[in-house]
Amino acid sequence: MGRSQEQGQGQGPIHSIRLSTVGAARPTETGTTHEPTGLDLAMKLHYLKAAYIYSPETARDLTVRHMKDSMFMLFDQIAWTTGRFSRRDSGRPYIKCNDSGTRFVEGQCNLTVEEWLSQPDRSVDEFLVYHQPIGPELAISPLIYVQLTRFKCGGLGLGLSWANIIGDSFSLFYAFNFWTKAITGETIHAPPPSRGDRRFQSPNPTVKDPVSVKQVDPVGDLWVTPNNKKMATYCFNLSVADQISPHFPVNGINSIPVFEIIAGIIWKCVAKVRAEPEPVTVTIIKKDPNDLKPNNAIRNSQVISSVQVDFPVAEATVEELVRSMGEAKDERFGIEEIGGSCDGNLDFVVYGAKLTFVDLSGEDLYEARVMGKSPDSVYCNVEGVGEEGLVVVYAAAKSEERGVTVTLPEGEMEMVKLEFKKCGLIAP
Amino acid sequence: MPQAPMPELTSSVKLKYVKLGYQYLVNHFLSFLLIPIMAIGAVELLRMGPEEILNVWNSLEFDLVQVLCTSFFVIFISTVYFMSKPRTIYLVDYSCYKPPVTCRVPFATFMEHSRLILKDKPKSVEFQMRILERSGLGEETSLPPAIHYIPPTPTMDAARSEAQLVIFTAMDDLFKKTGLKPKDVDILIVNCSLFSPTPSLSAMVINKYKLRSNIKSVNLSGMGCSAGLISVDLARDLLQVHPNSNAIIVSTEIITPNYYQGNERAMLLPNCLFRMGAAAILMSNRRSDRWRAKYKLSHLVRTHRGSDDKSFYCVYEQEDKEGHVGINLSKDLMAIAGEALKANITTIGPLVLPASEQLLFLLSLIGRKIFNPKLKPYIPDFKLAFEHFCIHAGGRAVIDELQKNLQLSGEHVEASRMTLHRFGNTSSSSLWYELSYIESKGRMRRGDRVWQIAFGSGFKCNSAVWKCNRTIKTPKDGPWSDCIDRYPVFIPEVVKL
Repeated sequence: MGRSQEQGQGQGPIHSIRLSTVGAARPTETGTTHEPTGLDLAMKLHYLKAAYIYSPETARDLTVRHMKDSMFMLFDQIAWTTGRFSRRDSGRPYIKCNDSGTRFVEGQCNLTVEEWLSQPDRSVDEFLVYHQPIGPELAISPLIYVQLTRFKCGGLGLGLSWANIIGDSFSLFYAFNFWTKAITGETIHAPPPSRGDRRFQSPNPTVKDPVSVKQVDPVGDLWVTPNNKKMATYCFNLSVADQISPHFPVNGINSIPVFEIIAGIIWKCVAKVRAEPEPVTVTIIKKDPNDLKPNNAIRNSQVISSVQVDFPVAEATVEELVRSMGEAKDERFGIEEIGGSCDGNLDFVVYGAKLTFVDLSGEDLYEARVMGKSPDSVYCNVEGVGEEGLVVVYAAAKSEERGVTVTLPEGEMEMVKLEFKKCGLIAP
Repeated sequence: MPQAPMPELTSSVKLKYVKLGYQYLVNHFLSFLLIPIMAIGAVELLRMGPEEILNVWNSLEFDLVQVLCTSFFVIFISTVYFMSKPRTIYLVDYSCYKPPVTCRVPFATFMEHSRLILKDKPKSVEFQMRILERSGLGEETSLPPAIHYIPPTPTMDAARSEAQLVIFTAMDDLFKKTGLKPKDVDILIVNCSLFSPTPSLSAMVINKYKLRSNIKSVNLSGMGCSAGLISVDLARDLLQVHPNSNAIIVSTEIITPNYYQGNERAMLLPNCLFRMGAAAILMSNRRSDRWRAKYKLSHLVRTHRGSDDKSFYCVYEQEDKEGHVGINLSKDLMAIAGEALKANITTIGPLVLPASEQLLFLLSLIGRKIFNPKLKPYIPDFKLAFEHFCIHAGGRAVIDELQKNLQLSGEHVEASRMTLHRFGNTSSSSLWYELSYIESKGRMRRGDRVWQIAFGSGFKCNSAVWKCNRTIKTPKDGPWSDCIDRYPVFIPEVVKL
């Protein structure tokens, strides 16, 4: 059952919500600011979400106090993310590093972890991530929300809602892993964050007019994607061997490009549903292989590339689609230019400007060990997706599986799910 | 042009020397008298020669009985004198609570919480912001965990947790520093004005440390920010009565149950200033502590202005229109504090001021009473009586007012201002943070005199005068150990938020 994306809190099965604030231990020097790059500004209407669930054996003895204290250690490294947005006289947003802090949300759930995980549509994990958009008052809007949900059995759900303007999904995972190390009590040697150039190395400096980004009507100080259609989310697990491999001819020794195949299959399904006009252009977002983390670990460096095909997608084979994805053009430079133009006063949408596929499968999310134990389940999604839709592919608990979160307009979701059933992606 | 300031400069220098000369003359008057007398005596003796001296000696017919009686009489008088002298009260050591960094409340966080909680009252939020900007507080002051919630969750449990956290940490540190065993504590005094559970906080301490069953324990509540010195006074009185004893004083203020949840402006002020803190002090009258004690208590003067209605009502706990309980601070607070201070100084002045200042004050008093009532009253120079000042860090206004009234320099009030900046108003324990600041700066020398002044609801002004017993090495631990190098900081008049 797809869950509607609503602006708001983790309510529903979560109760006894308490809000507080955590921040950085050391005071930041007065007057420190953080300037977002053009690429950051282009992403400002999007929010990244991740929910990690830990079993009762791992998490039963972890107190809220301990979790909060470890967050302070994390934010000591990235104190600028605890600031608040403000605008320069020109209207360009920047972060005032005033140590305001991050919102910490505590909640309780009457289900056990087992009961929670037994629900087939994993998008129920949206309830584990407290989310509020930035605005309408920039000065009191936190950039990060952390939700700690205690299950009836003692298990713990840790949800992070992270404004994309401060960093990409890979930054979020980096920060979360840092936090789990702090919770476990490991001494962390974090490199001092250098304030040098946070830009990415782009091999394609000539792309102007990127198609993966779309300008939207001005949203003012409430950074919410203006969609005419209500969006719904559906999340499921895939087994590579059973559901992916059959769609692709095995090339002998070469390992199959799992993400591209999944993207291709879903692209076809959506094309079949949408019919006219078919989505002939899609956006692919992946990790930058040339990225120099962990220095400057929190930033937007994901590769945003565009794929255009000139043949009808619904009839094409998955192989053809996968091959076209190999010719994706990196559009970051163009997006950087556009995002920074007009002093960041224009508003854009990247996820969902065109049907977007995000590849997080290279990240080992289950490395986020608390007290030596991996999470039982991890969920990833993006809030504020445009109307063309979004597919996020990420690692699942078993290495031969993948988690897939699909966000599409409510009207299309049921039909797309039918197509998925026809392809064998989900059980009938 | 350069000629005009020169006469002024030379005249002021001349005045300074005149002042110094006058002070030496009056303060050492007796010595000045004694010297000529001794000189005359010596000259006489030399003139008389040895045989004449012997003749004078033999003419005084000394009888054995007379000699014995006289010596017994002398011994008797000196014994009575030594027995009736009040015992010397020592401050062996003290320990201040350092809040963890995870309780830190930067300005931005405080204002954000304020805006979220008081979202329907923008004027109250504005008011709080203006107070905070001018408060003199820094970005490292701390509030207890329950107050970090939006809205705060001041349960009794949370208040007890805060009390246990601050008191036990301070006491553990004190026991470690002094090597005192809990079983050896003879007197325990705990003062916390606004949180008074049953069983009392002193019972909580006795329970935690398994103190003796015949301990003399007292719990003072409701006595405001000056309760710290009231506890010292009580400890002194008890130590006069009980020989060979020690006393532990715990001064704190528990913030959790007293965070004002309404939006009446005069009652929002304490929220902006009061912060988490505690101090534990070990006092003793044992002669064996003479060598290791840090300070000796010289004087303690308590002044209560409660008989005056205006003073009584100026800090008043009450319910607002919506039923929220808070502390109402009247607008005349500074004026009333000034009067209370004057009353206190009138008592303590004669005890501590050197003779030169007292004479001047007396002359100016006579002058005003008899000759010209319009003569400006002479304000004695207390800088001659004390090397260090610890003014209760009640707020920037209090420190400014006292600096003006007592004509103190910036360095004299530095300890108070920096304590307000780093720790906020920690109520009765702030005097001990200030003393710790002076020690951490390495300024405390043997023989230095310290004046602690505390104000409290009622309205009370209490003063304590300590004399430093031994030069104190810069402590390696303590609340200032990790940040003393950053101090003193420049605190702007208004911080831009």
